Amino acid sequence: MDRTDALPPEIELAQLLQRCAAQDSAAFRALYDKTSPILFARLLRMLRRRSVAEEALQDVYVRIWQRAAQFEAHRGRPLAWMVTIARYCAIDLMRRERLTLVPDEQIADVPDESAAEPGEFDKPGNFDFCIGQLNENTRKCLTLAFVEGRSHDEIARLTTSPLGSVKSWIRRGLLALKQCLAVERQPT
Amino acid sequence: MKSRNHELVDRLAAEYALGTLRGRARRRFERWLVSPQVGALVKAWEERLEGLEPPLQPVAPPATVWRGIEDRLELRKARSPSRWMAMTAIAATVVLTALFAFFALRGPSGDVAPPPQLAATQLGLLAADPQTIYWRVEVLGENQEISLHVHQVHELPAGKSHELWALRDDGTPVSLGLMPHTGDHHRVLTASQREALARSKQIAVTLEPEGGSPTAGPTGPVLLVAPLSAV
Repeated sequence: MDRTDALPPEIELAQLLQRCAAQDSAAFRALYDKTSPILFARLLRMLRRRSVAEEALQDVYVRIWQRAAQFEAHRGRPLAWMVTIARYCAIDLMRRERLTLVPDEQIADVPDESAAEPGEFDKPGNFDFCIGQLNENTRKCLTLAFVEGRSHDEIARLTTSPLGSVKSWIRRGLLALKQCLAVERQPT
Repeated sequence: MKSRNHELVDRLAAEYALGTLRGRARRRFERWLVSPQVGALVKAWEERLEGLEPPLQPVAPPATVWRGIEDRLELRKARSPSRWMAMTAIAATVVLTALFAFFALRGPSGDVAPPPQLAATQLGLLAADPQTIYWRVEVLGENQEISLHVHQVHELPAGKSHELWALRDDGTPVSLGLMPHTGDHHRVLTASQREALARSKQIAVTLEPEGGSPTAGPTGPVLLVAPLSAV
């Protein structure tokens, strides 16, 4: 797939969000058409069940419509803003539905990552360097939490590590990441 | 002490953005997000963690999702009303008769809302006292729809909205959307709202920022609570 098709131009999305803030429902529909396949894929990655992800997608767009005025256009990054809303909606839904851990072999709906190209999102220039500085366990814990929405307990089970270790890897990993990213070091 | 406190809030902001802050702790932290300082800490973490976003192949959602969004936000009225017009054209007399019956039963009211197709099964009167009823909320069918009637206009500060909640028996409130300030309204509920209402014996109205609570739960004061009773 052509990258320009896969990733809508951010400026256009920002303009659509501004029109949504002015209650323009045609702009909202256009925004939905352009972004819902991306957010739906992201929700499937976390919620793993199509029916639940569909429900979450409704919650996500209701929130986007209600909060469009809070999007700070000058800061840009409308897609990142929407993906964050999607991640938080998924986490809220997990609590509400008390979703239990689904063993990986039972999951058919999780979108395929291999076909997608990396780099859809902006990241700090030194992000790859900083994440590379963390040890393997820590990196795995952060990824499971962020990408799949796993809780401390689930990560402990998935990695067969003690819960206390998982919590402290995450805590120290976040701190190390913050300190490393604060240093204006470019990747070599 | 102050810097220790800042460290703690920053740690919570980090785990909030990462997603590992869960349950009650997450909801408690969300109440702090109204503070610009806390909001800025969370935002900084969201930006730091963005690099973890996985590359994904887009997946088109089914058309039912958009229809559900339209229903929840009541956008359909703003769109071309072809469905209602077609129905009216086919059965104009029937609809008119139904509308007359509808208004005769309810007395004069402002808005013309499409008459509900389902029978009311539960009723909640959101009132300050028996003489001061603000909203009448009817649950239709098996929690599929709700119908909202404004009896008396509740005072609303500028920049705020009234939001309706189903109070689940386990104590979790689930939003049923914003409250209107005139006329009759009719709303189709989502699966999760239906499920919440089925487990609720009470409804409540809270005061929220304009457009509704920015979180999954209420953030403002509870103005009114009413029991749901069978009709």
